[in-house]
Amino acid sequence: MFILDDLLFRPFVGIVNALHSIALDELYDVEALEAERKENQLLYELGERDEDEYRRRKERLEADLEVARDVHERLSSGRVEVKR
Amino acid sequence: MSNRYVYGVVEADTVEFESEAVAGAERVYTVSHRRLGAVVSDIDTTDPEETDADAQRHDEVLREIMDYDGGTTVVPMQFGMAFESDRALKNVLRGARPAFRRAMSDIEGMVELGLKLVSEDGAEVDREAIAAEVGERLDSIAAQVVENDLFSDRLVCNRSYLVAEDDRAAFDDEIARFEDDHDELMVRYTGPFAPYSFVDVKIGAQ
Repeated sequence: MFILDDLLFRPFVGIVNALHSIALDELYDVEALEAERKENQLLYELGERDEDEYRRRKERLEADLEVARDVHERLSSGRVEVKR
Repeated sequence: MSNRYVYGVVEADTVEFESEAVAGAERVYTVSHRRLGAVVSDIDTTDPEETDADAQRHDEVLREIMDYDGGTTVVPMQFGMAFESDRALKNVLRGARPAFRRAMSDIEGMVELGLKLVSEDGAEVDREAIAAEVGERLDSIAAQVVENDLFSDRLVCNRSYLVAEDDRAAFDDEIARFEDDHDELMVRYTGPFAPYSFVDVKIGAQ
């Protein structure tokens, strides 16, 4: 029974892993976070965003970026465990 | 602090001044090989972390080098180049000598200026028309131009220009006129910077 399950579901495990990687890519999109960080800086420099708001966003974005970079590093090294 | 943090490369061996440099260093000086000099300060790592404060110090030191002795041509390095020893750094200067020479000749007497145009909140703008107008008004004054990433939906234009010092005033005037003509845009005009965007010399610590 175990062998039959394995044969039947093995192709789907690969697909689920791929979808999971895509979802992680979107959730931890380093490029989008970098763009948001630059936009925050630009709008602050142009006087459109006050200092408190700028600093609040900057701190959040830097924390998110650190996590996102870490996830990508783990993804590329194969150290992210996909749990189902 | 036995390692050397590099700001840029100059064709001289006499650049030396006190400054608020990267990682708390206070003295900026030159490590030379033949007639090329790497402008450095001391640092205790070969992998410096890019904090906002240190990135700003890197830029400011480069500006001081550009102003040094009435004007010095510097091939700028991006943030983060640090070497274990003077010997390692001199090896790089020796190996990349032709590339540094070419880069120096390309940027001699030039500065980099940045232009970002941002639409006013909620304003409708014709992006293509604005990009064309910017090109028409500024490209002929500049020696070179590069398009940068439009990282925000509100960013209409993001360009870096390489401009001869002699053409700075004309370029400034044209930017001012452009700004007067476009109430729907916010203009972020920055520089002068060392011409990061117009040199392509990459050096490594190994």
